[in-house]
Amino acid sequence: MSAPPPHQALRPARRRFLQVSAASLAFAGLWPGSPEGQTLPPLTEHPREFFTEGEWAFVLAAVARLIPTGGDGPGAIEARVPVFIDRELAGDFGTAANWYMEGPHDAGAPPELGWQSPLSPARLWRQGIAAFDDWCRAEHGSAFADLVPAIQDQALTALEDAEVPLPPELRDFFEVMLANTKEGYLSDPIHGGNHGMRAWVHIGFPGARAQYRDWIGRHNVPYPLGPVSISGERA
Amino acid sequence: MMKTLFRILAALVLLAALAVAGIILIPVQRTPPSEALAAGWTPAPGAGEYAMRAGDCLACHTADGGADFAGGRAIESPMGRIWTANITPDPETGIGNWSLDQFRAALIDGLRADGAHLYPAMPYENFRMLTERDIRALYGYFMEEVAPVRNPVPEPELPFPFNQRWGIRVLNWLTLNHDSGFTGTMGDPALDRGQYLAEGPGHCAACHSPRTVYMGQDGITADDPAFLTGGHIESWEAPPLRGPQSVLREWPVSELAALLATGRNFRTTANGEMRLVVEHSLQYLSQDDIIALSRFLKALDGQPHDPPEAVAPMGPAALMPPEADAAGAATEALLSAVSPDMPLGARLYVDNCAACHFSTGRGSPEIFPALQGNSLVVSDEITPLISIILDGAEVPGTAARPMPLVMQGYAGRLDDAEIAELASFLRRAWGNDAAPVSADEVARIRREDRPQTR
Repeated sequence: MSAPPPHQALRPARRRFLQVSAASLAFAGLWPGSPEGQTLPPLTEHPREFFTEGEWAFVLAAVARLIPTGGDGPGAIEARVPVFIDRELAGDFGTAANWYMEGPHDAGAPPELGWQSPLSPARLWRQGIAAFDDWCRAEHGSAFADLVPAIQDQALTALEDAEVPLPPELRDFFEVMLANTKEGYLSDPIHGGNHGMRAWVHIGFPGARAQYRDWIGRHNVPYPLGPVSISGERA
Repeated sequence: MMKTLFRILAALVLLAALAVAGIILIPVQRTPPSEALAAGWTPAPGAGEYAMRAGDCLACHTADGGADFAGGRAIESPMGRIWTANITPDPETGIGNWSLDQFRAALIDGLRADGAHLYPAMPYENFRMLTERDIRALYGYFMEEVAPVRNPVPEPELPFPFNQRWGIRVLNWLTLNHDSGFTGTMGDPALDRGQYLAEGPGHCAACHSPRTVYMGQDGITADDPAFLTGGHIESWEAPPLRGPQSVLREWPVSELAALLATGRNFRTTANGEMRLVVEHSLQYLSQDDIIALSRFLKALDGQPHDPPEAVAPMGPAALMPPEADAAGAATEALLSAVSPDMPLGARLYVDNCAACHFSTGRGSPEIFPALQGNSLVVSDEITPLISIILDGAEVPGTAARPMPLVMQGYAGRLDDAEIAELASFLRRAWGNDAAPVSADEVARIRREDRPQTR
């Protein structure tokens, strides 16, 4: 698919969203503790802020194909990426609260012109899931979540390659879904994903430590210490 | 036999009652002026406000969010809570009707206009050394330059017998027997000026001298051996300013002057009550006075006291942080190796503190205080250290160094056991040698009202 990735334009706003949610979490006393002290419900029972039950089944199924379980690192499910996406869409990012959304929107515009859908990210997800599930039912006989993994992969590939007919305002659905999944995988656990910092351990990122001064001159020496999160989790 | 004993007892009770009646009823004496000024004498313009800054009247006599000098700030004394007085010239709730003699007596005798005794939270032991010129300048300032504010201040919340103001009279007989006025003893006009600022308006001894059993200051003037050898203020330790335990021994006059004028120097920052002294008082003093005060403190301790050319001069924009010294080398090696097996306290330091205070524990000049040899870190009073870890710290900006220095708090990021491990690590790292802190102590400090650190 030749769709322009819209995300360069989104970054500052998203960062603000993340800051705001971190602050409100802290304020609400929901600052997460250490991973070993947490007993979290399975994702299917996670209390959602945005997705409906049917949408939630789609998200669990889709991210599990984008970053599957059983690879070298954690899959999107073990990293609890859907929690991140649910929170993200319930917040300012989801509602495009502080974006310019007046248009004109031009689905053919080059990527540097930014978001070209009149839909907020939350509405893009909601309408995108509905449209894609309709296509899956017509093409493969059931909703995406109920397909076997091999068919799910085929369907996602078709979506990525723009072979699923979508109205122009949903053009970037796959790009947004993939980007939000990566964000949930790699962002600080305080935002719901990257559970236990397992994605950071996997890629060797040491996290929110801000103390590498002693290592500036140590070239080609592996950095031995695991990550720390914004809330102080250690791994 | 019984009868005789009874008579003796009755006589003793009568004597005691007479003594108490005497203490309560004999009129108080107001100390006369220490210097007879010429009839037409008037203070120089601005002298009153300057003396107010030197005496730091504003900090205590202004409540948070209240009008300047209108009082009502709570002072937590060892015996209970006292509210500072309204010293605006409001005739009903302030000092508008006070004569010069009554005003002077408040400063040097600890007496209210009605003759009642002030609680010794008012540092009249120190203000007793104020010159008559400064007293007159202050009187003129408060009567003519301060706006009257109507603000009644509550009576102290003190249990018996501390709520009996006449009891202070007995304390004053024991503690307030030094001469009023000031006589320099340093043999040099600049050092004498520094001595005056320290002993009198600056009332350094109120915190930095120990206390006697009568709760008076043990060491009020430079010739007292205990003067400025270290004391306490609320839950903070006021470190010794002289003697082998004093960090000032390692500071040149220029760095001492920088700390006083800007709240920061090459090693440390002013925290706790001292932060407020810098903010409300010392930053307003002239360069000459800051240098005089710094030189006096060094000279008092028998240390070199050559005057610097200026206080906190503009230097290079970036100062290199110091390398680890011999005492700190082992800790620095542990911290910079970042082994996954390092002790939890060290790991917490790497994860939370080292970005600013560095593996050397020596921080960075004028920004991040050194934790190595830091009197607050190794103090027996652990409340300030734990409070700063929980709540963070802030050093105010001053005219010479406008940037406030802010440390975030870690109450949400570290639990009690983690803070105990971290604090215990700090108190043993880089050659520091202080007792560990327990999670129970941290939990208590987290639960209680803590001193404000920012």
